[in-house]
Amino acid sequence: MQKMGKQKNKTASFSFWNWVIASIIFRLILIYFPKNLNLASRPEVSTPLTSFRRLAEGYWLKQLSMSPYAGFSFCFFFFSLCPTFFNFFFILIRQKKEMYLIFLVFGYSGSMYHGSPLLLSLLGPLTVKRIEGQPNHLLYSLVSVIADVVSAILIRATGKNLRLAYLRSLESLDIVQQTKASGEFFKILSPGDAAALIYLWNPFTIVACVGLSTSPIENMAVILCLYGACSRLVPLAAFGWVIATHLSLYPAILIIPVIFLLGCGPDAPPRKLFLQKNNKEEVLSKSKLRLGFSWRPITHFAFWALLWSAYVLVLCGISLKQFGGLWEMFKSTYGFILTVEDLSPNIGVLWYFFAEVFDFFRNFFLIVFHVNILFMIMPLAIRLHHRPCFLAFVYIAIFSMLKSYPSVGDSALYLGLLGWFVNELADIQFSFFLFCGYVGVSLLSPVMHTLWIWRGTGNANFYFATAMVYACLQIILVVEGVSAMLNHDRKLRNLATSKPQDAKS
Amino acid sequence: MAETKETSEKDEKPKPRVRPIVRLGIFLISHSVLVSVVCCTAGVLALFLLPVLAKNTYISENALMPGSASPMLSYQHVSDGNRLVKDLTNLDLKSSETGIESQRVIAQYMLELGAEVSFHKFHAQLNQFHPLHFFSSPDSGVIQENFSCSSYGINTVGIIRAPRGDGKEAIVLVTPYNALKSGLGEAVSVGIAYSVFSLLTQVTWLAKDVIWLVADSRYGEYAAVAAWLRDYQIPKFSSLSTLNSEMCPDINNLYDLKVNSIAGSKYSNSFRRAGTMAAALVLKVGDQSEQYEDTISIYAEASNGQMPNLDLINVVNYLAVHRQGLRVQVEKLWSLLNSSWLKSLGEIFESLGKVAKSLNPEWKFGIPATEYVEGTATLASSLYYQALGVPTGPHGAFRDYQVDAITLEISPKYSLDKFRRNDILLRGGRLIEGVIRSVNNLLEKFHQSFFLYLLTSPSKFVSVGVYMIALALLIAPLPMVAASLYVDANSLDSKTNKSTPSTIADTAERGITIRSWRWLYSAKLVFAVHVWGAIVSLLPYFICQIPDCSSTISFMIWVVLSMISLLTLYSVLASPFSCNNASQEKEWALVKSVTISYVFIGLGLMSVINFATAEIGALLMVPMCLLARPLKFDLRAGSLRSFSRMVCNLVLGLIAFPPAAFFLLKGMLEDFGSVNIGDFWMWVESLWAWNSATYIFIGMVYLPCWVLCVHILLHTC
Repeated sequence: MQKMGKQKNKTASFSFWNWVIASIIFRLILIYFPKNLNLASRPEVSTPLTSFRRLAEGYWLKQLSMSPYAGFSFCFFFFSLCPTFFNFFFILIRQKKEMYLIFLVFGYSGSMYHGSPLLLSLLGPLTVKRIEGQPNHLLYSLVSVIADVVSAILIRATGKNLRLAYLRSLESLDIVQQTKASGEFFKILSPGDAAALIYLWNPFTIVACVGLSTSPIENMAVILCLYGACSRLVPLAAFGWVIATHLSLYPAILIIPVIFLLGCGPDAPPRKLFLQKNNKEEVLSKSKLRLGFSWRPITHFAFWALLWSAYVLVLCGISLKQFGGLWEMFKSTYGFILTVEDLSPNIGVLWYFFAEVFDFFRNFFLIVFHVNILFMIMPLAIRLHHRPCFLAFVYIAIFSMLKSYPSVGDSALYLGLLGWFVNELADIQFSFFLFCGYVGVSLLSPVMHTLWIWRGTGNANFYFATAMVYACLQIILVVEGVSAMLNHDRKLRNLATSKPQDAKS
Repeated sequence: MAETKETSEKDEKPKPRVRPIVRLGIFLISHSVLVSVVCCTAGVLALFLLPVLAKNTYISENALMPGSASPMLSYQHVSDGNRLVKDLTNLDLKSSETGIESQRVIAQYMLELGAEVSFHKFHAQLNQFHPLHFFSSPDSGVIQENFSCSSYGINTVGIIRAPRGDGKEAIVLVTPYNALKSGLGEAVSVGIAYSVFSLLTQVTWLAKDVIWLVADSRYGEYAAVAAWLRDYQIPKFSSLSTLNSEMCPDINNLYDLKVNSIAGSKYSNSFRRAGTMAAALVLKVGDQSEQYEDTISIYAEASNGQMPNLDLINVVNYLAVHRQGLRVQVEKLWSLLNSSWLKSLGEIFESLGKVAKSLNPEWKFGIPATEYVEGTATLASSLYYQALGVPTGPHGAFRDYQVDAITLEISPKYSLDKFRRNDILLRGGRLIEGVIRSVNNLLEKFHQSFFLYLLTSPSKFVSVGVYMIALALLIAPLPMVAASLYVDANSLDSKTNKSTPSTIADTAERGITIRSWRWLYSAKLVFAVHVWGAIVSLLPYFICQIPDCSSTISFMIWVVLSMISLLTLYSVLASPFSCNNASQEKEWALVKSVTISYVFIGLGLMSVINFATAEIGALLMVPMCLLARPLKFDLRAGSLRSFSRMVCNLVLGLIAFPPAAFFLLKGMLEDFGSVNIGDFWMWVESLWAWNSATYIFIGMVYLPCWVLCVHILLHTC
């Protein structure tokens, strides 16, 4: 029996690597495809923060020894409304040397690049380097592909960790037999494999990777943080957290799940259950599960986080020494994120709202929208503290829904992480509905965008409607996910408490 | 302990209190058969009611003010135009070697008026199948290859700068003219345009530049206009075009002559531009009409069922009818005019309208039967051309750049002899002048009136809000039936599980875990079939590469390759005819549920891209999807109901196969004798040549849906 299971595992892992290779090949095919796909200019893929073109622009400005944040730029919104000029720009951008001139010609001021200066130094050179006879941005795309694969591998490793933790907790509750029946997926595909494959083959991930956005790298940082926390590599976790926060600010709230992860280990059923169990059956030794909250790794984490952030800030400071220093960076990265300056349409809900809102209410609503995320932190942390990884998933889902410039790359991350909880969320409600909804919205949204921008027969409301539907779907996913998780906990409790009675009768 | 038990019981049995909206949903889902029958009939009925519900058009944009100024086009301008017509026809008789001569004459006339003139050379672009063109923006993917000098076309462009404008906006007037073999009609259309042009050089009210494009239509009217527009909208920075012109002596000749003959004129060698285009009119003069009056036909459908703003049609209609006394018509499906069933339907609606009126004189419902038949014929052709997604004239090229454009074809009552010609020149010219003057008044681009509408007559339309109801009713049952099938399949599953001897909690759990994700297997099958659909739609790209292939053979190759790929995909991705275990007994229901959901998504998407395609597709697909049920069950049941359902299924399955549907329609509209197998290939070729989204729809939504329905019919479990 065990042998068979092992064999099955072997074949599963074999096919896993096959699928990984297939996904890499698929990406490469898409990269080698003619430029007609034009994914890099899709609003779903490249936001002002993750856009490849802005990165290239920032790099060129820096090469011309100007501040990458204070470049000449144009109003993206304006251009997306004027097909002619848009193409005009596109043709010109190929002739890189004149680009700077063109901005002068257009004379629209404002800043263009809003990412980290580190990305500029690391990825910037790749935006201009090209190999004869190969696609233009091959090297840069390869970096994205590698980032995706690394993220998938880290997800897989974390998933294995989670699976072990899950099994351990089941064992300690003595309900392995009962749950085996329900664990169909469990046998076929371990949560790690499932999550990694979902992440790799998710069309959103593929589109974000091929569309040259920087979100694969941001996602990798987040996953690195979670992986480090799960496998108790404190410096790695701190590094991931600092880099993720540095790149896109919102992952800062992941510090709560990371603290829980480091403090009391990966996901497990509520601690109360173990205590009850222990009270009832003294056989179970306490050493099997660490139930307490250990502060040691957290102080470690704090130390490392401080160290890494100081390091990152110093590096940024060095690279921006001539261009206004760190303050400039904070203003045009975090400031840009928090004040929602760029109102070009994206798949989020904020752009429309802030395009409509009166100017004197703007600050008020900025606060409201950002506090919205913060409001949800505490209740969720209290309710889900025993499942830190799931808590991280919920946080990521929430901020990728409410962030100021969301892209499909963010959704790719939380949808991939969803795979970790295959066993717990097996009885999630509306799974089919959600799936259809995601498929429908991701097809409908580009169509509405075309209708508005290219055909001119629709208007902003058309596109915003799909954005709202998308937000609703995400809300439903989070709500149903959390309730399924709580139900699962309840089920485990029932199993654990009702078993002795069954045995008696 | 007791407490926990109590809570656990509470958890297991939630209170039966449900919110009303949820209860309504459950009610609808549980009565899905009734609901779907009612909705579908209502949807079809609503479609036939559309001509009755059509509203009269009205001019929505106040700034247009059509007909408020009296026309200024005088007989002087008309005689100018006539002179040009004569010159052109004489030239035709004299020599017609390259056609350059006539271009030169037109340019000469333009220059004499003081307009800026330039020539635009273009290559005739071959219509090739580029699968990615569907997804890219309209102007990318311009292919510059080596063209021989022989495939050049030359457009003549004249621009009048507006005395009151700032050169930011322009109105375009297009007259297709084939210099190689021009009929009198084309010459007259150039004459009309010239007379208007000569007037416009003198007027003081012009606030937008006027561009007159004489499109060289030797490679088709559309190609010439599209090539000019592409160069107008997308600046070229390569020096390719100049190089090419140097290589071709013919064209250089033309320039040399030009420059030499009129020195100091506004002739320019480079591409001239005016501002953004507010509107465009394509003017054609057709042959003698069969009607008893001078008629003017309006063609408005652009690619993928896009229509120009209704206000443009309104202005033309208003001016033609109320000012120039022309009869305006839009395309009709003539074969429908004589159908008796439509007539009787119209009579029913008419009598219903009368009853309604007798009940309450306020209800103005119902139109005369003849009007209904005409409206339906117009509506049908409107739907047909929108659904095809192929533009009905050169105006289609403008719509790709968000410019509202229509083609006007004037068909005179008598033949175009010298006396009648003046009349046509005068009335046509005044109509064009009036339209240009209206558009000239426009402050913004057309935005006020509708973009999404169907015409039932030149002065009646059905807006998006009304016609969407028909489609919405038709596809409303889909999600409900999908939900009810899904619930059914799952509940049956848990029932079978319940028979196994184990504790209650255990079974419930097992049921749940399998239940929640069981649709994944069906989704896999549906996905595989959709991938196959994508492969089938890509196949013509490769088949096209085979040289010397007749349409029949190409079609055969296509069918064979599709079959092979379907079989391989089936065997690799999803084995359809194997029942692994008893729990998958109801698998067909899940497959049907997933299929229906995807059909719903596909139809919803298509209704946004191209309503007409979605509507026609829905008429075929919705009954097919809803009725699909394994034939085996119906055979086993043996009752009359199941037998009739089986027959319906078989008939629908046969009819709905795309080539079968095509041949059937073609046979019905034309003649069964003339139907050739290769015709379908030709039709499909025309679809992709015009980048019609209908092609994608057929390949990626319709065909997979049909295959899945057949799969359900043949399900053996």
